[in-house]
Amino acid sequence: MAPVRRGKTSFDFQWIDDPSQVVFEYVRTVMPPKKAIWPVHDTMLEFDLKKQQASPVLDETPFVLFGIHACDLKGINQLDWAMGQRHGVPDPHYLARRKAATIVGMESMPDEYCFCTSVGSCETREGADLFLTPVESSYFVEVLSVKGEALAKQAPELREATGDEVAAAKAFIEKKKRSTTLKINGEMGELPDLLEPRYQTEVFESTAQRCYGCGTCTNVCPTCFCFDVDDQVDLLLQSGTRGRTYDSCQFQDFAIVAGGHNFRGERTDRVRHRWFRKFVYLLREHGTPFCIGCGRCSKSCTAGISLVDVLNSVLDEARKEVVR
Amino acid sequence: MTVVQRRFPDQKEEALFVPEMARITRAENLTATDKLFEIELPGKRDLGHKPGQFVQVSIFGFGEAPVSISSSPARKGSFELCVRRMGGLTSKLHAMGAGDTVGIRGPLGNGFPMEDFEGADCLIVSGGIGMAPLRSVVDTIVANRDRFGRMMLLYGNRTPADILFPDDLKKWAADDRNQVLVAIDRPAEGWTGHVGVVTTLFQHIKLDTSRRTVAAVVGPPVMYRFVYAELTALHLPHDHIYLSLERRMKCGVGKCGNCQINGKYVCIDGPVFTGAEVQQFQESI
Repeated sequence: MAPVRRGKTSFDFQWIDDPSQVVFEYVRTVMPPKKAIWPVHDTMLEFDLKKQQASPVLDETPFVLFGIHACDLKGINQLDWAMGQRHGVPDPHYLARRKAATIVGMESMPDEYCFCTSVGSCETREGADLFLTPVESSYFVEVLSVKGEALAKQAPELREATGDEVAAAKAFIEKKKRSTTLKINGEMGELPDLLEPRYQTEVFESTAQRCYGCGTCTNVCPTCFCFDVDDQVDLLLQSGTRGRTYDSCQFQDFAIVAGGHNFRGERTDRVRHRWFRKFVYLLREHGTPFCIGCGRCSKSCTAGISLVDVLNSVLDEARKEVVR
Repeated sequence: MTVVQRRFPDQKEEALFVPEMARITRAENLTATDKLFEIELPGKRDLGHKPGQFVQVSIFGFGEAPVSISSSPARKGSFELCVRRMGGLTSKLHAMGAGDTVGIRGPLGNGFPMEDFEGADCLIVSGGIGMAPLRSVVDTIVANRDRFGRMMLLYGNRTPADILFPDDLKKWAADDRNQVLVAIDRPAEGWTGHVGVVTTLFQHIKLDTSRRTVAAVVGPPVMYRFVYAELTALHLPHDHIYLSLERRMKCGVGKCGNCQINGKYVCIDGPVFTGAEVQQFQESI
């Protein structure tokens, strides 16, 4: 799977069979590379209605995930934890595909929606097997794993980088950082304690007034992992599958229980939940935010809501409160 | 690209979402909307649950739903689920009976810490279907009667016809260490008992302030705030109050996010939370 051009200015990760389809320079794809490891709809079980038996469906087909930016690598790392050891319950369906993946990362330049420098994702290498940084007319290649080594051996044109080339690769990353102008006004470690007392802030209320509740932000998010589970039965009513589909905490019915009570009945509750989950609950639990600074949610938002602007407004409020 | 999907039957780690197939051995209508199922796992293996835990009940083609376990952990060879007909899966389940097969994943969740109830007076507050998991708690108390203090059961229902487990209620009330108070919301023909919502039963109990009292609360979402106010008025410390909270659930193993209450997951961290925790989480009750 690699980034390909979809429209004039839009790109997406697609399964490819022709390397000429690959786009080497892109800012971001519409959907994150998560979908290679965790498809939008993912079959978990197959069942036989006559025998009343079910068996797990695991996809272990080896594949290459190519052209993954540093921020998206961080997104994969976050999911590796969430679907791996979190709560001591490894998810076999996610992990089967994850183990089958060989990941080739690639450096990139930001646009006005990017803020990787604020969330600590701009120099991620963990999770990649190879990582490419553009240097003049070629690439500086970091070999990061046994899998990566095996892949590098198949490229006879690779050679030891010169000191100048190493410096040029470093300079590329420095330039990326300098060009990333959008910032979260706070250190990640201080966010939970700053945000939590602002639970009732008017900022979430006014954001909710603009929000359509369409769920696009969570659907394009590389770190969102909520899902719904449903069964599909074949037309002969003999067998079927149980699968999961991306869900969204922004949907009105996300927290409705059987009797009809909705535990996040107000849009404000659902909007707050998104920011709190990313920058309070999971940040506190895992030590890093469940946001990689890719800007997908802000770029895709039908109402033009910026994740960073909302966050900064709450942080400004929190700081004023502290000063007072 | 062709995607090859491989199958791994009978492998534990791969089988996180694979239910164990179990047999319904008895089914009994308790009310117009509630049905009790006796279920046997393969080889009559014990479920090995704690009171307050739940299982994910699977019907292929209909999906999965969390159902709390109604029977005592002391019961051998089978367990019981009391299911209210609410949606697609529970309607299908209500159409099933002895001899039919359902999938079971669990026991899941934390359950009530019965060790903390030992030696204490136990105040059990139940609203409607909340009696289903609380029956497991009460049965545990009754089965080990000397290990627990007084038991006060406050049980609110809409109508007399909605009262679950009337035979159990009579049996429990026969022991003078137990006080069983049942209320219905509005007057009904032939009903001579208490009328009023469950909180109006609190006037009929008296806590022994020289002893520790521990409360277990399960009921519909609307009930918790009002019951909590009563318990606070009785000066019960927050950490002596245990509430089982209901949320939408899909995976049951802390992944899908549906049951989240602020930073907690009901399926992993709950469903039973202390009053102290509930006070801390704005979304809890």
